[in-house]
Amino acid sequence: MTERMIYLDYAASTPVDTRVLDRMREVAAINCANPSSTHAAGREAQAIIATAAGQLAGLLKVNPGTLVWTSGATESDNLAIAGGARYRAHRGKHIVSMKTEHKAVTDVFEALSKEGFDVTWVEAGGNGLVSPEVFAAALRDDTQLASIMFVNNETGVIQDVEALGTICRERDVLFHVDGAQAVGKLPIDLGALPIDLLSLTGHKFYGPKGIGALYIADRPGCHVEPILFGGGQQRRIRPGTLPTDLVAGLGMAAEVAANSIESDLEHLGRLRNLLWDGIKDIAGITLNGDPEGFPGILNVSVEDIEGESLLLALEPICVATGSACNSKSQEPSYVLRALGLSDSQAQSAIRFSVGRPTTTDEVAFAAGRYREAVARLRELAPGAAA
Amino acid sequence: MSGDPYSAAVRELFAAPTHAGTVADGTRVLVEDQGMRVEIAASVAQGQLSAVRFRAWGCPHLIAAAEWACRHYENGPASALDKFPTDRIMEDLAVPTEKTGRILVLEDAIRSLGRSLTSKQT
Repeated sequence: MTERMIYLDYAASTPVDTRVLDRMREVAAINCANPSSTHAAGREAQAIIATAAGQLAGLLKVNPGTLVWTSGATESDNLAIAGGARYRAHRGKHIVSMKTEHKAVTDVFEALSKEGFDVTWVEAGGNGLVSPEVFAAALRDDTQLASIMFVNNETGVIQDVEALGTICRERDVLFHVDGAQAVGKLPIDLGALPIDLLSLTGHKFYGPKGIGALYIADRPGCHVEPILFGGGQQRRIRPGTLPTDLVAGLGMAAEVAANSIESDLEHLGRLRNLLWDGIKDIAGITLNGDPEGFPGILNVSVEDIEGESLLLALEPICVATGSACNSKSQEPSYVLRALGLSDSQAQSAIRFSVGRPTTTDEVAFAAGRYREAVARLRELAPGAAA
Repeated sequence: MSGDPYSAAVRELFAAPTHAGTVADGTRVLVEDQGMRVEIAASVAQGQLSAVRFRAWGCPHLIAAAEWACRHYENGPASALDKFPTDRIMEDLAVPTEKTGRILVLEDAIRSLGRSLTSKQT
């Protein structure tokens, strides 16, 4: 490939911030101990982890003791949903979510349904948002857990988690939020929001892969059963030796984010507007999701274009046709189908996602390349003018 | 590149197809199946395919295969259109087996073109 690669897939993963990398190198160089060990080196590792917990707690405005380290958002989602539902199963087995959630959520619900849990999928409107009224109507007397994602990974739609969480509090339902696309990108005050469980992962906000966390609110009835067994670490909620350097990296990513969220949001908003302005007059183009959604994500479909060919024609731009975790399936996005898009519209969908390092030149190039690719594929299609 | 779903041949043929388009006053067939659309056009002079062109709506493998087929048949005998080298295309372009159906859509178009040309001659 002779052209320079342009990475516009920040919703799939972000580069590790240099400050994060420096912190991880520093920790890896000075400490090799198991943080569970009680000797001096082990206690030093514990202190490093405590510092990271403080940094992440500062970002989320919570007590560090409410955080449990995991391997990432998928594990956090599994622990929150399966662990939360099983913990409260003696009170009822009805659980609620949406079809537009990430597979790390929907697949857990499917698994729980095989254990005898009764699942209700709440419908989103065409803009991807679930109304509080529709959500409230889905809750029953035996509902024990609901899971709604903060920012949709494909469309950038931001759910009103405050309104939905308030309904859950009134009905004594555990409220889990998949915050993988929100943490470190939107201001989140868990001290004020009625969220019981929040999943996050480091690599979505310039931290390392392989490390995440689950926030568990410190309030009565809010607890999860472990899904892993084998040690007493982390109050037995999530056993296993903690990777000190990765935890330290996630902590530093949280500290960096806490100081840059506002400027990041302004930057991303400018970039998304520039990109959309550059392509919005293409015949048959539609913006998928809510125009007021997270500014780092722009999801568009265009009529009569085959998505896989569009993706290749866009190279050297790295974008996604759907969730990166699902992109090998080549199936139309189930998230966009749930929003009412046809197979054809969903199949042509491209998710551009910009990040902190993205430049206006890169976005301008991407808009131009998108226009060229659509025009070329239309010219190639049967029925084009001779 | 590790994990690349496309062979170098697919990338080259997809990026710069020299046989995309149509043939003015030629014979043209359109086949639609499995969500794919392939149009093949050709002109014949003294039993030889003097020009073969394609238009396609589908995945990169289909577009690359259509370009490959046009190059393969052009300047050859029209009678060759009843023999479609599926295995050779699959091998030359390293088409994954799950996409065999898409190559068969192209085969249908090529064979249909052959039948159409034959019916015009008789």
